[in-house]
Amino acid sequence: MPILYPLVVSSLLFATGTYVVMARRHAVLVLMGVELMLNAVNLNLVTFDAYWHDSLDSGQVLALFTIAIAAAEIGLGLAIVLLVFRSRSSINVDELRELADRDEAPTA
Amino acid sequence: MTALLVVALPLLGAAVALVGGHRRRLVAPAAACVSCGAAWVCSLLVAAAHLGDAAPAVVGPYVIGTGGIPLQASLYVDQLSASMLLLATTVAVLVQIYSVAYLRGDPRYPSYAALVSIFTASMALVVVADDLFVLLVGWEAMGACSYFLISHHWELEEARAGAVKAFVMTRLGDVGLLFGIFVAGDAAGSYRITDVVQAASSGGIGRTQATAATLLLLCGIVGKSAQFPLHSWLPDAMPGPTPISALIHAATMVAAGVYLLARLLPLFMLSATTMTVLAVIAAVTMLGGALMALAADDLKRVLAWSTVSQLAYMFAALSIGGYSAGVLHLLSHGAFKALLFLAAGSVIHAVGSQRLDSMGGLRSSMPVTFATMTVGFAALAGLPPFVGFFSKDAVLGVAGEAAFHGDAQARAWLVLVVGLVVEVLTAAYATRAWLMMFFGRRRSDVARAEPHESPWFMSGPLLVLAILSTLGGVAVVRPGFLGVAPEPFHAATALVSLLAVAVGVAFSASEWWRLDGHDPSRRLGPLRPALAAELGYDRALMSAVLSPVRVAMRTVVASESDVVEPYARGVGTGASWANRFLRWLHNGDLQRYVTAIVFGAVAVAVVVGIVQ
Repeated sequence: MPILYPLVVSSLLFATGTYVVMARRHAVLVLMGVELMLNAVNLNLVTFDAYWHDSLDSGQVLALFTIAIAAAEIGLGLAIVLLVFRSRSSINVDELRELADRDEAPTA
Repeated sequence: MTALLVVALPLLGAAVALVGGHRRRLVAPAAACVSCGAAWVCSLLVAAAHLGDAAPAVVGPYVIGTGGIPLQASLYVDQLSASMLLLATTVAVLVQIYSVAYLRGDPRYPSYAALVSIFTASMALVVVADDLFVLLVGWEAMGACSYFLISHHWELEEARAGAVKAFVMTRLGDVGLLFGIFVAGDAAGSYRITDVVQAASSGGIGRTQATAATLLLLCGIVGKSAQFPLHSWLPDAMPGPTPISALIHAATMVAAGVYLLARLLPLFMLSATTMTVLAVIAAVTMLGGALMALAADDLKRVLAWSTVSQLAYMFAALSIGGYSAGVLHLLSHGAFKALLFLAAGSVIHAVGSQRLDSMGGLRSSMPVTFATMTVGFAALAGLPPFVGFFSKDAVLGVAGEAAFHGDAQARAWLVLVVGLVVEVLTAAYATRAWLMMFFGRRRSDVARAEPHESPWFMSGPLLVLAILSTLGGVAVVRPGFLGVAPEPFHAATALVSLLAVAVGVAFSASEWWRLDGHDPSRRLGPLRPALAAELGYDRALMSAVLSPVRVAMRTVVASESDVVEPYARGVGTGASWANRFLRWLHNGDLQRYVTAIVFGAVAVAVVVGIVQ
């Protein structure tokens, strides 16, 4: 199989994830976009592992590692989303702007 | 050690007057008079021990290592120091007594009395110091005290201006003095005055070094003693209280310049160049000062210009090596000029004005002041048997001797001829001021009520100084007390100078009669306004020195604000704009951050791709 196919797929995945992270407002969807980007990277890792015939299979090992981290991260992320929703009954990322550099306290 | 007491006692008195003066009314005058009186007694003891042929006394030296030539803090009292100490403390104690009455009720009297004491102590330090740097300490302390005392009435604009002018002009000379000390100390290998003089007289200092050192020292001396071209601070120092003028003009401050020159005379004698410069300066100053004194309208300015002119006499004597003549004239001038200033203060106190044309006819209402001031003017004009006659005769005698027999004849002739011309002028302005003050009609339109004789606190010192000015001649004819060979009486020059005095007196007196009691200096015609404006010296100085400085200042300011400042300002403005941009970016919208990161990463990737 030419290496181009998995790379194109992974690029599409990554682009989709990026778009979701950049454009969607719903926090859960943003987390899903992050997940897509991670998995695009995982696909790349596995692809190149197979392509180079790495004797240590470090690409696969790293992909497993990333999956574990992604799982932990999504758990943490969903917990944050839950807390945000509880405190302000909205999980619109547009409205979460407390980290901005402001002179006066935010009014909204 | 007694000499040290002369320095220490007035300082102690000053401390007491400063600390206690504002609490009790009597503390300041008592502390000032008692401390200066005690210093006077000490200097009498010193004088008794050291006038005549006695060996000089030395205290110290306490050597202070500097890494180079060490400082040797030490005192040295010989005939010159002892007589100067006596003069300074005598005038100081009389001035202190006089000031008690003159400044009665002045709220600043305690600090005034303290400053006069410090002034006296500084002068005493100058005359007993044996290290050039110790001398410099006293010298500068005097400059500071004169600044404070001239600006005693600091609510007056002219007093402040005069004080600043005196300070700046003497400081200008002091720069030269400091470097002169460096050069002289370097040449002699020691900053001790005795070592420097020793090296100078034994040929240890080269001619070039001596010229450099003495020309630099001369800057400081000219500044301190108000000689041309740094003379104009002295007449402008007149807004100070009159007793201060007496102190500055007679015994301290201006006398310090003459003293230093006399003390270092062997060094100055090494350099013919310096001596010629000195003679020319002295000739110009004595002539100019006498002319200004003839035209001045203000009594104190007349006396101030007369001081300038008489100091030049001393320098003229020293410039032809007349050590004892110069010092004698310094001492005698100290006595009669202190008398004249204190008497002038008494008149001003009574009349309430310093202008000569607002006085007149004071003879009958102020008999003591009249009598003592007559003695003072007679001594100033050089009439026998007053002290000024003998000391001027000593000066002109030395000049005549040198002119006919000496080796520096051009210098001696200059001094002799100009000295005689100045004799005429001195007699003329002394007579003019005397007539305008005490004779003629009373100018009641300007004067306050009836002028009255001053209290005894003021006329007492006048009487003491008048006695000194009268009998001082006895001491002056026998100048052996200075430890040098006595000068014989010079019959020829004395006759010529008497003739000159007669011409001067006759001029003023005849003009006085001819103009029916009006200012005799009107005879000077168109010259008079020019002289009264002091020949525009200050204005010329202003345009020659101050204007270029002002232009340079403006250039510096402009280059700073137009060239340097925009850069400094630009840094600030740039940072401020960058701040505004970054704040706009950092608006809290996470997705915008992500967008920025993605596009940034893409841009970096593209750039890297292109570069490789």
